[in-house]
Amino acid sequence: MSDIILRDDIPDTMQPDQTGDGRSVKTVEIDSHSLNFGPQHPSAHGVLRLVLEMDGEVVARAVPHIGLLHRGTEKLIEYKTYMKALPYFDRLDYVSPMCQEHAFALATEKLLGIEIPERAKWIRTMFAEITRVLSHLLSVTSFALDCGALTPALWGYEEREKLLEFYEAVSGARYHANYFRPGGVAKDMPVGLDERIAAWATEFPKFVDTLEAMLTDNRIWKQRTVGIGVFTPEQALDWGFSGPNLRASGVPWDLRRTQPYDMYHEVEFEVPVARNGDCYDRYLVRIAEMRQSVRIVEQCLARMQPGPIKIQDTKISPPTRTEMKRSMEALIHHFKLYTEGYHVPPGATYTVVETPKGEFGVYMIADGSNRPYRCKIRSTGFAHLQALDELSRRHMLADTVAIIGSLDLVFGEIDR
Amino acid sequence: MGDLVASGLAGRLGAMAFALSTGLEGVLSAAVEKGELVVHVRRQSLPGVMRVLRDDPRYAFQQMMDLCGVDYPDRPERFDVVYNLLSVTLNQRCRVIITTDEVAAVPSVHRLWSSATWWERECYDLFGVLFSDQPDLRRILTDYGFEGHPLRKDFPLTGHVEVRYDVDRGAVVYEPVKLVQDLRNFDFTSPWEGVMTLPGDEKAHESRQGIVAGPPGQKR
Amino acid sequence: MTDQLAPIMHHDGQETAPVAWNREALAPGPAQEAVIKGITGEITEKGFVVANVDKLVNWARTGSLWPLSFGLACCAVEMIHAFMPRYDLDRFGIIPRGSPRQADVMIVSGTLTNKMAPAMRRIYDQMAEPRWVISMGSCANGGGYYHYSYSVVRGCDRIVPVDIYVPGCPPTAEALVYGILQLQKKIQRTGTILRG
Repeated sequence: MSDIILRDDIPDTMQPDQTGDGRSVKTVEIDSHSLNFGPQHPSAHGVLRLVLEMDGEVVARAVPHIGLLHRGTEKLIEYKTYMKALPYFDRLDYVSPMCQEHAFALATEKLLGIEIPERAKWIRTMFAEITRVLSHLLSVTSFALDCGALTPALWGYEEREKLLEFYEAVSGARYHANYFRPGGVAKDMPVGLDERIAAWATEFPKFVDTLEAMLTDNRIWKQRTVGIGVFTPEQALDWGFSGPNLRASGVPWDLRRTQPYDMYHEVEFEVPVARNGDCYDRYLVRIAEMRQSVRIVEQCLARMQPGPIKIQDTKISPPTRTEMKRSMEALIHHFKLYTEGYHVPPGATYTVVETPKGEFGVYMIADGSNRPYRCKIRSTGFAHLQALDELSRRHMLADTVAIIGSLDLVFGEIDR
Repeated sequence: MGDLVASGLAGRLGAMAFALSTGLEGVLSAAVEKGELVVHVRRQSLPGVMRVLRDDPRYAFQQMMDLCGVDYPDRPERFDVVYNLLSVTLNQRCRVIITTDEVAAVPSVHRLWSSATWWERECYDLFGVLFSDQPDLRRILTDYGFEGHPLRKDFPLTGHVEVRYDVDRGAVVYEPVKLVQDLRNFDFTSPWEGVMTLPGDEKAHESRQGIVAGPPGQKR
Repeated sequence: MTDQLAPIMHHDGQETAPVAWNREALAPGPAQEAVIKGITGEITEKGFVVANVDKLVNWARTGSLWPLSFGLACCAVEMIHAFMPRYDLDRFGIIPRGSPRQADVMIVSGTLTNKMAPAMRRIYDQMAEPRWVISMGSCANGGGYYHYSYSVVRGCDRIVPVDIYVPGCPPTAEALVYGILQLQKKIQRTGTILRG
């Protein structure tokens, strides 16, 4: 029995071990075969199709096939006025709708050259953070679900329901809010909502504690995530990572801190950075970010003053319904805005925001008409998914699922 | 504090724009537009310029965040290819723009930034821009077997084909697109600004434009 | 499984109209106990019980509608919310399945694109009869916001036969629950043990 084939491309745990009686276990060469994963798979987080070249149970190569949710958003936006293009952004990363609107609103405002009122900035900052919690809750709990833990999802979704109530109160919709508009926000917050949010903000850290009690020191959870899908800072930068995935690799980079927009330069928060760049660290960063988001929400509530919530220029922001019923001028403005829309002066901008997933950018070219000439959406998950091959190489098949979960992929945004 | 940071950044970007436009081979122009550094580069010198932008400690753009195409059908070189670079150590951004057409290949930058591969595939898929030295230039977003490049301005929004399940053949089949109601693409050019004549309104329009003889303002 | 249309008796003896979605259902109480006692009596006495097989089958089908967790886009999140504790579809015996072989109903939740269409039809073909389809959201109903796009199927009924359309963008979890209850009603009304 001397025909042992020791292969150095197999991890140590997979090498044949010496049995006690001096004989070795024979390693059999297995032809690599390919495995089709998706496009309908419960742990694919949507419509991901992965073609995996397997070496036994070890992934030799992972080829993602995307575009199964390619809806032509960028083309459709070129045919819509700025006002009608905004709701497409809700539908991109559909677990963090308001953060995407934020990027579009900021880009349009930059091209229009307008400054929005302070209260609108506070409301936007607060809801961007609520959205961050909303997204991280889904991300962390679905990640746990993929690794076999059902309870975090059951509990986390109840917390999401509470946040969706805030969404509903402020915009009328549970998901696709269409709330952040170029020039401010659509409506002021209803009376009493600030108290409800404050009550939630005092309660929520306890839930994060519960979530952590279930997962952070859980032995099975750690076995599934620690040391899986490790990315060094250099690799993460090279592959265009951003957001929690980049910070988990040890790069202290947060656009809210380094290139602040709206009111982020006024609020105090910490940027959690981890060291190892594995799935477990990506989870830890998200948990820590949820706690920081609650801090920001509390500061926003404390410092928010009554005032206008959109710019007073009626050529850009529509009049209220009551005004419209009374004043002829307001009626004309309303009609013009909802048919023709406003014209944006020629120019181009690449405006970015820190969405829960990372850097979400809008590269917009205006040609002076009422429609964007080109609106390129820089999606976060596109870069993250691209690195899946690198991340999952020489991992077990089940680890690939953990890696997909830890990257926080949403296909509406990747495929656009 | 935000303003201070912004003004400091603007000064630094201005200095960088000057350094780039004078000291680097292949740079056609570099300027700060709306607070963002925009660099126009000759297509052939792209790899060299990009290498300097990444490796020179004055620029240190470690990340390529985005690559996209823009179509201007009226120009001789109809496509812009736009690279958005980010430096996390110096906290600055840069936009590199080159032009190309349907046949001239753009040098690939995937050896500088690994993330470029998919962005280049996407640009090829949506615009038909070719990238040389790119080993994996396949379609990425559109359907398997898709024809055309959808984000070109001359590609119709509704495309050319639509799918349907054919019971007789027992398969999903492609057919030429047939819409019950066409896309209503209104021309919103305002009649109030006097550039369009509404039917039945010719007379009023003429007097507004001062075409009919008579002192202005004497409509009635 | 009685053929009578008995009004529902509450514990305090009050009568209310029969429940709308399942007329044969009896609420726990004296009336239900009487029926159960009658049936068990018949079984012990005669050793068999006479019932209407169609109704029995439909009762069983509506009580355990297992949907395929076929999330396509935004609506999938609302669908998950419907399965989660607040709306709790489990109480209707509705438990999401990962495999089309085990599923009775396919909830098409989200935009169906040209690229996805053959895969979806294939999954539908893999489902065992009897099978139903719920089209959830504007995009699945008719293309919705993406109707004029070059890559979107203008309604998933171009690919699979649809039983229930749930409107909304996205429909709330409640709307989906209502849609599923409507499907149960439809099965009660039209369900048959013959293969169609």
